[in-house]
Amino acid sequence: MTGKKGINSRALMIGLIAIVVVIGFALVSLSIGSSRVEAEEGPVNALANSKNDCVVCHDRTTPGIIQQYGHSTMAAADVTCEDCHEVERDYPGGIEHEGTYVLQSPTTAMCQSCHENEVNQYYASRHALPAYVAMVGAEVLDEDLMAMYQEVTEGQPDPDRARNAIYHLEGPAVTRFACEGCHNIGKPAEDGSVGECQQCHLRHEFSLEQVRKPETCSACHIGPDHPQFEIYQESPHGISYAVGSDDWNWDADPGTLTSEDFPAPTCATCHFSGFGGTATTHDSGDRLTWFLFMPVSERRPGYNENAGRMQQVCGECHNSDFIDDFYTDGDALVEAVNAWVLESREIIKPLQDNGLLTADPFDEPIDFVFFDLWHHWGRTAKFGGWMQGPDYTQWHGAYEVLRELAELKEMVHDKLEEAGIEP
Amino acid sequence: MYHLATIFPKLKEIKLPLSRDQLVLVMVAINEIIVGVDIFLAHSISRTIVPYEWIPIIFGPIAGILLLISGAIAIRRRELATSIATLVFVSSILVGVLGSYFHIRRAFLLDAGFAQMFSIDLAIWAPPLFGPITFAGLGIYGLSAAFIEAPAGSGKLKLWGNKTLQMPFSKTRGYLFLVALGMLAMLVSSVFDHARTGFENPWLWLPTVVGIFAVVVAVVLGVADEINENDVKTYFVAMTLMMLTGLIGTALHIQTDLTSDFQFVQERFLRGAPFMAPLNFVNMGMLALIVLLDPKEETE
Repeated sequence: MTGKKGINSRALMIGLIAIVVVIGFALVSLSIGSSRVEAEEGPVNALANSKNDCVVCHDRTTPGIIQQYGHSTMAAADVTCEDCHEVERDYPGGIEHEGTYVLQSPTTAMCQSCHENEVNQYYASRHALPAYVAMVGAEVLDEDLMAMYQEVTEGQPDPDRARNAIYHLEGPAVTRFACEGCHNIGKPAEDGSVGECQQCHLRHEFSLEQVRKPETCSACHIGPDHPQFEIYQESPHGISYAVGSDDWNWDADPGTLTSEDFPAPTCATCHFSGFGGTATTHDSGDRLTWFLFMPVSERRPGYNENAGRMQQVCGECHNSDFIDDFYTDGDALVEAVNAWVLESREIIKPLQDNGLLTADPFDEPIDFVFFDLWHHWGRTAKFGGWMQGPDYTQWHGAYEVLRELAELKEMVHDKLEEAGIEP
Repeated sequence: MYHLATIFPKLKEIKLPLSRDQLVLVMVAINEIIVGVDIFLAHSISRTIVPYEWIPIIFGPIAGILLLISGAIAIRRRELATSIATLVFVSSILVGVLGSYFHIRRAFLLDAGFAQMFSIDLAIWAPPLFGPITFAGLGIYGLSAAFIEAPAGSGKLKLWGNKTLQMPFSKTRGYLFLVALGMLAMLVSSVFDHARTGFENPWLWLPTVVGIFAVVVAVVLGVADEINENDVKTYFVAMTLMMLTGLIGTALHIQTDLTSDFQFVQERFLRGAPFMAPLNFVNMGMLALIVLLDPKEETE
């Protein structure tokens, strides 16, 4: 050790030079990188040279799914085909395949082995058993499934029988391509698990971007009975998505999202993503306040808690006065539509009291008018309000409800008159 | 040589309750426990911890507790304590190497085409490449501290019984290289982690600049035949900056993880900016400053 005074430190000099050199090099690299036109690079295929038996064989027979899976983060994380598809010989639903046993379509039980929380959240949601029961009725559930169904918030209201009636009326040749396309999201599997994660997380890329984009939800939430996708498109949120989403951070890590990643929300942001003070969920009803799907909507049991979670999401962009006013007005809208649906029941009651309606569902025009009034137009008016789609609240919703009410009155009047009863 | 006393002479008058090696051992023991907790949080990101991911989580606290126990019995049964500590340190190195394999493995797509097998993006988004090496580093630190160097500065370590081991350089120099190596691993991890955000936030350059400076200064002191007072001052400042950077980083990470209205959401702390990671800078700065303490043991 020498005790020289003054700035005579080799360590200091070399250290400073090292900083200048390394940072200079980094800045030059960044400058070159940012000025260069981004090269067109194909997506990384993690399975391009795979010798895995499944990959080798399916690359010949069904190359599309191998390409898709090769581009997935799951393949990059060493999750193999066997991890999701291969089961024991006696596994329910398993089939013999090339010397092993597989599930053609992995069940949620398979997903659950890695994504336990996500599957449990999903089981507690409307997307699980209630979606299936809405189509086929609760009668198909065994004791265990019934218990599971009744634990779901959306399993508590008495399911409306009319929708089940349509399913049975149309028959399997139609429903295979119709109702089941969406409602099988909650179909029980042979192994006792429920549902199909792949309805939203499309095979085989399992892309975050895909599942966060509203087009994913539009597979089902579209059309005259629940046009959420169309409502979203005309809302300010949907307009922001349409004009600016190319720059959004679609692959941001779950649980870290902020308004910097998503300056406006998609369906996933409000209903599922961890955003603001609200944690990620796979329970689609976790942030909802009303059972809007019901003919006469009721407040959900966890109205205040659910509202709190949704409002945390809203609060990332909107002030509390805006949010409070919006909820007050939204509640009033639901009550107003409820009143119209209750009125429709009063209108049709004399026909029921006098036995002037047939016992079979959907066999006479008045059945359709009575059903459309709440199932299509009433619900659309409510969804349009909560999702800021004025045209859907007005012309595809409230206006249609009023027209159906008028038509219903006339139909009831005619039927009573025809039966010789004073209207 | 008591390097720290050359810039703070009054330190010579203060008798520390623990020797330099004992302080290193205490730091290593605490680190083993903290690293175990940190890994538990990191492995919880997916909310599903697969069996082999439990190895470091279980190992860390057990190793730390065993080291504290061996420290407590060292006065009466020095050889037993050294044996326990050695076993823990060797295991720590093995766990670190094994973990590094698992992490580095994820940065390579072995089944992809040759050109796509490795990329900077993969390295950035893979599990932290040098994260598990912390255990190996702690093991090596520990082994270095477990055996007394006599006389101080000779590089001659007293092993079990009368056995000795002549190292190629002094323990102080060895510590300096280890500190530099540890900080280098931490620096690379920090750069890769921060690269996920594109280095858009200017604060992200702070750990990079300070890290480079501290690593180079530690290496220079390690290789220098003679260390002058200004070198020690530079080293002291560099390591103090490391600690300050760590504290600032911790505050910034916590701020990032809190919501815009400062709410705590567990998920954001698990999956967002790792709030314990910047404390590694503090930790390394402290370890680096301990190196400057008097290398003499009480027995000398």
